Amino acid sequence: MAEICYEVVTDACPSSVYESTPAHSRRRPRFQTVMHEDWEKNCKRSKQEALATRYSSIPRSSREDFSDQNVDVSSPRYGVSSVCGRRREMEDAVAIHPSFSSPKNSEFPQHYFGVYDGHGCSHVAARCRERLHKLVQEELSSDMEDEEEWKTTMERSFTRMDKEVVSWGDSVVTANCKCDLQTPACDSVGSTAVVSVITPDKIVVANCGDSRAVLCRNGKPVPLSTDHKPDRPDELDRIEGAGGRVIYWDCPRVLGVLAMSRAIGDNYLKPYVSCEPEVTITDRRDDDCLILASDGLWDVVSNETACSVARMCLRGGGRRQDNEDPAISDKACTEASVLLTKLALARNSSDNVSVVVIDLRR
Amino acid sequence: MKTSQEQHVCGSTVVQTINAPLPLVWSILRRFDNPKTFKHFVKTCKLRSGDGGEGSVREVTVVSDLPASFSLERLDELDDESHVMVISIIGGDHRLVNYQSKTTVFVAAEEEKTVVVESYVVDVPEGNTEEETTLFADTIVGCNLRSLAKLSEKMMELT
Repeated sequence: MAEICYEVVTDACPSSVYESTPAHSRRRPRFQTVMHEDWEKNCKRSKQEALATRYSSIPRSSREDFSDQNVDVSSPRYGVSSVCGRRREMEDAVAIHPSFSSPKNSEFPQHYFGVYDGHGCSHVAARCRERLHKLVQEELSSDMEDEEEWKTTMERSFTRMDKEVVSWGDSVVTANCKCDLQTPACDSVGSTAVVSVITPDKIVVANCGDSRAVLCRNGKPVPLSTDHKPDRPDELDRIEGAGGRVIYWDCPRVLGVLAMSRAIGDNYLKPYVSCEPEVTITDRRDDDCLILASDGLWDVVSNETACSVARMCLRGGGRRQDNEDPAISDKACTEASVLLTKLALARNSSDNVSVVVIDLRR
Repeated sequence: MKTSQEQHVCGSTVVQTINAPLPLVWSILRRFDNPKTFKHFVKTCKLRSGDGGEGSVREVTVVSDLPASFSLERLDELDDESHVMVISIIGGDHRLVNYQSKTTVFVAAEEEKTVVVESYVVDVPEGNTEEETTLFADTIVGCNLRSLAKLSEKMMELT
């Protein structure tokens, strides 16, 4: 899939965001955002759709009229920013699939967001971007899954994804993969996966690795995932219980090699590096937004700071104004994601940075 | 009595049996200038000096998220008759100081199978134990040899 690289020009960053930044880091680095064509397609809505969503605040009983016309009245607002940063290769991938699942008899669709941070090479993350949402879709069994059903769905999807990247390595290699064609290297390549499915009532998050999902609620961060670091006490117990070791080499690493305890792929470190996701299910309330991002952001930006930046971009996080043009909150989400990315680079993040900001205001 | 200058050294041996004939396995293994075919932690490799024969020095860059980014390595010995290869790590930004490996290739007792034996010695980094160091190095060497086996067996299927 072709990648389009272009320079993003945005408003100057408010100086307060940089208060804790050393003076010499204030100069904003110039960078290119990598955006895939399908993201642009997702962002361009038809006029009819835009017109319909203008009325998304009308009473529920009247909204059914729009459903009858097959107009998507609950399209999510979101923004994406994904940059290579200081590392030479781009190994992050982002997948966004509005209305990816419309179960029978369900009044409202569900929306899928995923951030995948590859290591060793990019092809496992790229494969997750192409396939994981389809596996989740296949595993969904009913329109109103309960908590246990969501956990089963996500665990089965992640396990299938992990098996796919292992067996896929034995057959075909895509042209954009940097590994030699004759020797697919899936055994020692992997990816994180932080996935969120947003329904009208709930936020489901499934996480494997050290990317992260943070809910911004009343301006305060609520972590919806916990990073899988090898020295997390329960992860350390699990690894050693399986006969593995966590060695502090330059930081805690499984067998001294990998700095995360769960990942899709990395077959050579199984069973110590597990692909089983941790799943959280959160009821929706008056939430501001959800932030999914790779550790290129979270290593240098706290949950609190990320929420403050996002909330500020979403106009103080109040209820969305009646009849607010959906393009406005799309732009706000994009600005939030771009601003967070630039903040990470300004704070000398040395990794790829990928950020998705999803407007959850009703 | 051990003095403070005396570095603690450790070592280990990793063995891999491959379902492919020795000449094929050796032809892949002996390419000092092109380790990327089976060493999947290698991102790029270029010769800094020499032509790939004894005495050559290669500069290897390492794939992402490993505790290293590049390694400088010298080919000390390459014997095509006894199928022995000796490599020393002479620099780089990693913690494997004074690492030297000797890889020997044998025909297995079962015909048409090959045994690869890689033995290494290395200093124990400060702050780590001997056990930790050999576990780390064994993991890397083991992964490389399994990749060599996989590649050799796949190439044999194609012939």
